[in-house]
Amino acid sequence: MPELTELEARLTSLGGEVEWPPTPDLSKRVAAAIAAEQVIPLPLTALRPSPWHQSRWAVAAAAVILALAALLAYQPSRDTIANWLNLHTRIQQVPVLATPSPLPPGPLGERLGLGGYSTLPKASAAVKWKVLVPSTLGVPDEVYLQSDGPPQGEVTLVYSARAGIPISAQTGVGVLVSEARGALNTDFFGKSVGPDTTMEPVTVGGHQGYWFAGAPHVFVFIDADGNPRYETSRLATNTLLLDDGGTIVRIEGDLTKAQALQIAASLA
Amino acid sequence: MEGRPEDDRGLFARAQRGDTAAYEEIVQRYQQIAFRTAYAITHSAADAEDAAQEGFIKAYRALGSFRMGAEPRPWLLQIVANEARNRVRSAGRRQHLELRLAEGFRPGGAAPSPEAATVAAEDSARLLGHLNGLSEEDRLVITSRYLLELSSEETAATLGIPEGTVKSRLSRALARLRDRVEEIPRA
Repeated sequence: MPELTELEARLTSLGGEVEWPPTPDLSKRVAAAIAAEQVIPLPLTALRPSPWHQSRWAVAAAAVILALAALLAYQPSRDTIANWLNLHTRIQQVPVLATPSPLPPGPLGERLGLGGYSTLPKASAAVKWKVLVPSTLGVPDEVYLQSDGPPQGEVTLVYSARAGIPISAQTGVGVLVSEARGALNTDFFGKSVGPDTTMEPVTVGGHQGYWFAGAPHVFVFIDADGNPRYETSRLATNTLLLDDGGTIVRIEGDLTKAQALQIAASLA
Repeated sequence: MEGRPEDDRGLFARAQRGDTAAYEEIVQRYQQIAFRTAYAITHSAADAEDAAQEGFIKAYRALGSFRMGAEPRPWLLQIVANEARNRVRSAGRRQHLELRLAEGFRPGGAAPSPEAATVAAEDSARLLGHLNGLSEEDRLVITSRYLLELSSEETAATLGIPEGTVKSRLSRALARLRDRVEEIPRA
């Protein structure tokens, strides 16, 4: 189509003829902001500025902070990490601590930004979809509802350690099951998963899913409004991601693939 | 080689190790394309500035998740474009964007052009007018791909859509633009 080629060429040259607003010099400002915050580069959830990312998967940031801290020989406590997260990912360097401190008191979700403390009946009533509960894990120990996150909200079920499932060093709990409405799109996965993360397609009860294990990576799903949501997965706590009829379920913990699949198969 | 600018990947590798000077250099290299991309999305220079600045800061924090060896530009643009889209979303609506030709390209501008240049400028103005008249979706994909000369991958990252969708969206948008361009004005 010669017209198209000519049109494309004209459009390209038009780019140089358009009056763009002058580009501000951001380099000094960005450098100053980084210096002021003493930000350390880390694999982070923070690819979106919505309150949702700051809280929703903030727990995931704990893992990557720890991983990075290990690389930098920092040994931040979980308290410190929680503080970082409460600072909405304004990461600050801290002096080396000898050992991680015990978990601070208080509800887990409050510290890890899973949203508001809730109950299964309340959270189920607050969202439009059917909240799925894995029968192999039973009634969750805690339930959180994130209402200012993804469109239509997000529910997280928290399970403490149990037989065969240890407490994750990253989260201080056994398993997190997070649910939000959306869709999986593998087009985005290839760009976001690094070489040290394995990604394996799985099928659970006829539903498409993926098993992620290994290094942290940016994780993406398409939210209920059709917009991509960028998050990271954990380092040590592996993740099973499942599209259960339009509900994106994330099952995370120090789980084997078999355990994760078993939990996913029991979702009802 | 002395005097030769360090390539982007080298800069990213240094920045990932916490070298803020390297990151400052990265910002310098990319701020124009980042700002203009954000401007095409937000339609506001102030919002674009905020989005680009915040995007660069967030990108620095997220450097650890950047895969070494990958192309840095789509990754950065994706973060900045997300910032820009969020600003549009939180504002609820965006003002209408009318891209204009720079002064030198306007016929009858301060420095009158030779006749040929004037004709060319008129052609450009007409084409830009047609582009401005397209839907936001069509305008943005064409602006990203051609006026900003983003690659297909960068356009996908900027628009937050898969690369395959960029191709089909672009082809439809170009067809609609061509219809407008070829439409014979009524005498």
